[in-house]
Amino acid sequence: MTDNQKKILEMLAEKKISTDEAYRLLNALGSEEGGQKEAPRVQTGTVLKPKYLRVTVTPREGADPQHADRVNVRVPMSLVRAGIKLTSLIPHDATDKINDALREKGINFDVRNIKAEDIEELINALGELEVDVETGHGEKVKVFVEY
Amino acid sequence: MNRPPLLMRLRIHNEGHNFGLWLPLFLLIPVALVVFIILSPLILLAVIILWPTGWGRVALLAPWYAWNCICATRGLSVDVQGPREYVKIAFI
Repeated sequence: MTDNQKKILEMLAEKKISTDEAYRLLNALGSEEGGQKEAPRVQTGTVLKPKYLRVTVTPREGADPQHADRVNVRVPMSLVRAGIKLTSLIPHDATDKINDALREKGINFDVRNIKAEDIEELINALGELEVDVETGHGEKVKVFVEY
Repeated sequence: MNRPPLLMRLRIHNEGHNFGLWLPLFLLIPVALVVFIILSPLILLAVIILWPTGWGRVALLAPWYAWNCICATRGLSVDVQGPREYVKIAFI
Protein backbone atom coordinates (compact mmCIF):
# COMPACT_ATOMS: atom_id res chain seq x y z
CA MET A 1 0.00 0.00 0.00
CA THR A 2 1.38 3.40 -0.96
CA ASP A 3 1.42 6.54 1.23
CA ASN A 4 -1.25 8.16 -0.93
CA GLN A 5 -3.60 5.19 -0.53
CA LYS A 6 -3.03 5.27 3.25
CA LYS A 7 -3.84 8.97 3.35
CA ILE A 8 -7.10 8.42 1.47
CA LEU A 9 -8.11 5.63 3.88
CA GLU A 10 -7.21 7.80 6.88
CA MET A 11 -9.34 10.65 5.49
CA LEU A 12 -12.19 8.15 5.04
CA ALA A 13 -11.75 6.89 8.63
CA GLU A 14 -11.80 10.46 9.91
CA LYS A 15 -14.96 11.01 7.80
CA LYS A 16 -13.32 13.89 5.94
CA ILE A 17 -14.41 12.26 2.66
CA SER A 18 -17.28 9.95 1.71
CA THR A 19 -16.86 6.33 0.60
CA ASP A 20 -17.71 7.35 -2.99
CA GLU A 21 -15.01 10.03 -2.98
CA ALA A 22 -12.49 7.60 -1.47
CA TYR A 23 -13.39 5.04 -4.15
CA ARG A 24 -12.92 7.59 -6.92
CA LEU A 25 -9.62 8.83 -5.47
CA LEU A 26 -8.27 5.30 -5.10
CA ASN A 27 -9.27 4.49 -8.69
CA ALA A 28 -7.60 7.66 -9.98
CA LEU A 29 -4.48 6.89 -7.97
CA GLY A 30 -4.44 3.30 -9.24
CA SER A 31 -4.62 4.34 -12.90
CA GLU A 32 -1.94 7.00 -12.35
CA GLU A 33 0.42 4.53 -10.68
CA GLY A 34 -0.45 1.87 -13.24
CA GLY A 35 0.65 4.30 -15.97
CA GLN A 36 3.93 4.86 -14.19
CA LYS A 37 4.51 1.12 -14.10
CA GLU A 38 4.58 0.87 -17.90
CA ALA A 39 7.94 2.56 -18.15
CA PRO A 40 10.16 0.72 -15.71
CA ARG A 41 13.23 -1.08 -16.88
CA VAL A 42 12.67 -4.02 -14.57
CA GLN A 43 10.05 -6.58 -15.52
CA THR A 44 9.48 -9.76 -13.54
CA GLY A 45 12.90 -9.59 -11.94
CA THR A 46 14.93 -9.29 -15.16
CA VAL A 47 16.67 -6.01 -15.95
CA LEU A 48 15.92 -4.83 -19.48
CA LYS A 49 18.91 -3.69 -21.48
CA PRO A 50 18.77 -0.60 -23.69
CA LYS A 51 18.16 -1.66 -27.29
CA TYR A 52 18.09 1.54 -29.32
CA LEU A 53 19.22 5.12 -28.97
CA ARG A 54 16.56 7.37 -30.46
CA VAL A 55 16.86 10.95 -31.63
CA THR A 56 13.73 12.71 -32.80
CA VAL A 57 13.09 16.23 -33.96
CA THR A 58 9.46 17.21 -34.42
CA PRO A 59 8.11 20.57 -35.54
CA ARG A 60 5.68 22.50 -33.38
CA GLU A 61 2.04 21.60 -33.70
CA GLY A 62 0.35 23.44 -36.55
CA ALA A 63 3.68 24.38 -38.13
CA ASP A 64 3.72 25.13 -41.84
CA PRO A 65 4.73 21.83 -43.54
CA GLN A 66 6.73 23.90 -46.07
CA HIS A 67 9.09 24.94 -43.29
CA ALA A 68 8.94 21.94 -41.00
CA ASP A 69 11.79 19.48 -40.54
CA ARG A 70 11.36 16.05 -39.04
CA VAL A 71 14.16 13.76 -37.95
CA ASN A 72 13.80 10.28 -36.62
CA VAL A 73 17.00 8.34 -35.99
CA ARG A 74 17.20 4.93 -34.35
CA VAL A 75 20.68 3.63 -33.58
CA PRO A 76 21.00 0.08 -32.25
CA MET A 77 23.02 -0.09 -29.03
CA SER A 78 24.99 -2.96 -30.57
CA LEU A 79 26.31 -0.45 -33.13
CA VAL A 80 27.36 1.92 -30.34
CA ARG A 81 29.05 -1.03 -28.61
CA ALA A 82 30.82 -2.13 -31.82
CA GLY A 83 31.93 1.45 -32.49
CA ILE A 84 33.45 1.86 -29.04
CA LYS A 85 35.16 -1.54 -29.31
CA LEU A 86 36.91 -0.28 -32.45
CA THR A 87 39.05 1.87 -30.18
CA SER A 88 40.93 -1.30 -29.14
CA LEU A 89 42.24 -1.51 -32.72
CA ILE A 90 43.96 1.84 -32.59
CA PRO A 91 47.76 1.45 -32.40
CA HIS A 92 49.65 3.05 -29.49
CA ASP A 93 51.15 5.84 -31.64
CA ALA A 94 47.71 6.88 -32.78
CA THR A 95 46.20 6.73 -29.26
CA ASP A 96 48.92 9.08 -28.05
CA LYS A 97 47.96 11.54 -30.80
CA ILE A 98 44.26 11.20 -29.90
CA ASN A 99 45.01 11.77 -26.21
CA ASP A 100 47.08 14.85 -27.07
CA ALA A 101 44.29 16.22 -29.26
CA LEU A 102 41.75 15.61 -26.48
CA ARG A 103 44.03 17.32 -23.95
CA GLU A 104 44.30 20.35 -26.24
CA LYS A 105 40.49 20.56 -26.17
CA GLY A 106 40.56 20.42 -22.38
CA ILE A 107 39.48 16.78 -22.10
CA ASN A 108 41.85 14.85 -19.87
CA PHE A 109 41.01 11.31 -20.95
CA ASP A 110 43.12 8.31 -21.93
CA VAL A 111 41.51 6.35 -24.79
CA ARG A 112 43.55 3.25 -23.77
CA ASN A 113 41.55 3.06 -20.54
CA ILE A 114 38.35 2.08 -22.35
CA LYS A 115 37.59 -1.52 -21.45
CA ALA A 116 34.79 -3.89 -22.55
CA GLU A 117 33.20 -3.97 -19.06
CA ASP A 118 33.24 -0.16 -18.92
CA ILE A 119 31.42 -0.05 -22.25
CA GLU A 120 28.66 -2.31 -20.90
CA GLU A 121 28.36 -0.14 -17.80
CA LEU A 122 28.26 3.01 -19.92
CA ILE A 123 25.56 1.61 -22.22
CA ASN A 124 23.45 0.45 -19.29
CA ALA A 125 23.83 3.90 -17.75
CA LEU A 126 22.57 5.41 -21.01
CA GLY A 127 19.23 3.82 -20.15
CA GLU A 128 18.63 6.70 -17.76
CA LEU A 129 19.37 9.25 -20.47
CA GLU A 130 16.53 11.46 -21.58
CA VAL A 131 17.08 14.80 -23.25
CA ASP A 132 14.07 16.90 -24.06
CA VAL A 133 14.68 20.30 -25.64
CA GLU A 134 12.14 22.72 -27.05
CA THR A 135 13.55 25.42 -29.29
CA GLY A 136 12.29 28.97 -29.56
CA HIS A 137 10.43 28.03 -32.76
CA GLY A 138 8.53 25.28 -30.94
CA GLU A 139 10.58 22.43 -32.40
CA LYS A 140 11.01 19.53 -30.01
CA VAL A 141 14.27 17.60 -29.85
CA LYS A 142 14.27 14.36 -27.91
CA VAL A 143 17.11 11.96 -27.21
CA PHE A 144 16.13 8.83 -25.35
CA VAL A 145 16.69 5.12 -25.07
CA GLU A 146 14.29 2.44 -26.20
CA TYR A 147 14.01 -0.98 -24.57
CA MET B 1 26.64 -12.20 -31.95
CA ASN B 2 23.94 -10.44 -33.96
CA ARG B 3 22.79 -11.68 -37.32
CA PRO B 4 23.69 -9.38 -40.23
CA PRO B 5 20.94 -7.26 -41.76
CA LEU B 6 19.15 -8.88 -44.67
CA LEU B 7 18.04 -5.78 -46.54
CA MET B 8 18.98 -2.15 -46.82
CA ARG B 9 16.29 0.29 -47.76
CA LEU B 10 17.28 3.63 -49.22
CA ARG B 11 14.86 6.30 -50.30
CA ILE B 12 15.76 9.79 -51.47
CA HIS B 13 13.07 12.14 -52.59
CA ASN B 14 13.52 15.77 -53.55
CA GLU B 15 12.18 18.19 -56.12
CA GLY B 16 14.00 16.69 -59.09
CA HIS B 17 14.60 13.11 -58.01
CA ASN B 18 12.71 10.24 -56.57
CA PHE B 19 15.06 7.37 -55.86
CA GLY B 20 14.23 4.21 -53.98
CA LEU B 21 16.32 1.09 -53.50
CA TRP B 22 15.91 -2.20 -51.68
CA LEU B 23 19.41 -3.65 -51.47
CA PRO B 24 19.42 -7.42 -50.80
CA LEU B 25 22.37 -7.64 -48.41
CA PHE B 26 21.79 -11.35 -47.91
CA LEU B 27 22.87 -11.81 -51.54
CA LEU B 28 25.85 -9.45 -51.28
CA ILE B 29 27.33 -11.00 -48.12
CA PRO B 30 28.29 -14.34 -49.81
CA VAL B 31 29.89 -12.34 -52.65
CA ALA B 32 31.86 -10.26 -50.12
CA LEU B 33 32.93 -13.48 -48.37
CA VAL B 34 34.28 -14.91 -51.65
CA VAL B 35 36.16 -11.64 -52.33
CA PHE B 36 37.58 -11.77 -48.79
CA ILE B 37 38.80 -15.36 -49.27
CA ILE B 38 40.44 -14.43 -52.60
CA LEU B 39 42.14 -11.39 -51.02
CA SER B 40 43.15 -13.15 -47.79
CA PRO B 41 46.73 -13.95 -48.95
CA LEU B 42 47.24 -10.24 -49.67
CA ILE B 43 45.80 -9.32 -46.28
CA LEU B 44 48.15 -11.82 -44.62
CA LEU B 45 51.08 -10.30 -46.50
CA ALA B 46 50.05 -6.81 -45.40
CA VAL B 47 49.78 -8.04 -41.79
CA ILE B 48 53.34 -9.46 -41.91
CA ILE B 49 54.78 -6.31 -43.50
CA LEU B 50 52.95 -3.91 -41.18
CA TRP B 51 53.43 -5.92 -37.95
CA PRO B 52 56.58 -4.01 -36.77
CA THR B 53 54.80 -0.66 -37.21
CA GLY B 54 51.86 -1.68 -35.02
CA TRP B 55 49.33 -1.44 -37.85
CA GLY B 56 49.65 -5.19 -38.58
CA ARG B 57 47.36 -6.00 -35.67
CA VAL B 58 44.84 -3.54 -37.08
CA ALA B 59 45.00 -5.18 -40.52
CA LEU B 60 44.57 -8.61 -38.93
CA LEU B 61 41.58 -7.73 -36.76
CA ALA B 62 39.91 -5.17 -39.03
CA PRO B 63 37.87 -7.72 -41.06
CA TRP B 64 36.45 -9.24 -37.87
CA TYR B 65 35.58 -5.82 -36.41
CA ALA B 66 34.12 -4.73 -39.76
CA TRP B 67 31.90 -7.83 -39.76
CA ASN B 68 30.77 -7.02 -36.20
CA CYS B 69 29.91 -3.47 -37.27
CA ILE B 70 27.92 -4.74 -40.28
CA CYS B 71 25.99 -7.11 -38.01
CA ALA B 72 25.35 -4.29 -35.54
CA THR B 73 23.68 -2.11 -38.18
CA ARG B 74 20.60 -4.34 -38.10
CA GLY B 75 17.79 -2.08 -36.88
CA LEU B 76 19.53 1.18 -37.77
CA SER B 77 17.09 3.67 -39.18
CA VAL B 78 17.61 7.25 -40.28
CA ASP B 79 14.60 9.21 -41.37
CA VAL B 80 15.03 12.88 -42.27
CA GLN B 81 12.19 14.88 -43.72
CA GLY B 82 12.69 18.46 -44.82
CA PRO B 83 10.26 20.88 -46.45
CA ARG B 84 11.06 19.61 -49.93
CA GLU B 85 13.21 16.55 -49.43
CA TYR B 86 13.00 13.21 -47.74
CA VAL B 87 15.79 10.73 -46.97
CA LYS B 88 15.30 7.33 -45.41
CA ILE B 89 17.93 4.71 -44.74
CA ALA B 90 17.02 1.54 -42.92
CA PHE B 91 18.81 -1.73 -42.29
CA ILE B 92 16.33 -4.54 -41.85
